[in-house]
Amino acid sequence: MNIKQQMKGDVLVVALSGKVIGGPELMEVKDVFQKAVDQDKKKVLLDLGRVNWMDSSGLGVIVSGHTTLSRAGGSLRILNATKKIHELFIITKLITIFETYTDEQEALNSFGD
Amino acid sequence: MHPIEIRLPSDTSVLEPLQLIIEAVGKSAKVEVDDLSLLSVSVVELAKNAMEHGNKNDPEKTVTVSFNIFPNRIRFMIDDEGSWEPEKALGFNPGEGEELLLTRGRGVLIARNLAKWVEFGLTPEGKTRVTLIWPLN
Repeated sequence: MNIKQQMKGDVLVVALSGKVIGGPELMEVKDVFQKAVDQDKKKVLLDLGRVNWMDSSGLGVIVSGHTTLSRAGGSLRILNATKKIHELFIITKLITIFETYTDEQEALNSFGD
Repeated sequence: MHPIEIRLPSDTSVLEPLQLIIEAVGKSAKVEVDDLSLLSVSVVELAKNAMEHGNKNDPEKTVTVSFNIFPNRIRFMIDDEGSWEPEKALGFNPGEGEELLLTRGRGVLIARNLAKWVEFGLTPEGKTRVTLIWPLN
């Protein structure tokens, strides 16, 4: 799994790629969300477009990020979830708490609401 | 026919090799290419549960994943060294109310939704066994 971060305006875009599978790597993702809050970056867009495999451990870290950012008054939104990852969001009903987008600009604009 | 067995230590570092093996099994059984990752997610979720709930993540304890390929289905059995009660260990609704925001506990929910048949039982020795049936077209 790889993690790339980039500021676009006042939104931190975090792009994951590869396999998001259980193990110590996931702590790195958790840390990204915590550091974002520590640095007062409270608008985070998580790009899952290049994630080719994810299980419940990955969902758990995303939920953790949601909680971390929400408690700090921020927001975590999802970009480019593949069909299979979207299915996991539906099965677990996480689709009810996350805003998901397929267009990056639309996602970035949504934080301005 | 005896099943083919894979014995794994209870260590999350083996999950990725397991994922690749399960997809290779699925491919050899002619599971649709698009469904291979759904199959591997299902089995990996159950193996992770076996490591955690059955073996308490003790790397000295093993999880055994065995499988048979039949003409119309693949049967996976995931055995651990514990005698845990799934409904007790997993007795909450991860998709409901405050539990929606828990960071764990979704594995069985996912496996049950992706696979057509997931059943918890016991081995002849009284250890926890999960059986997953993946139908073949």
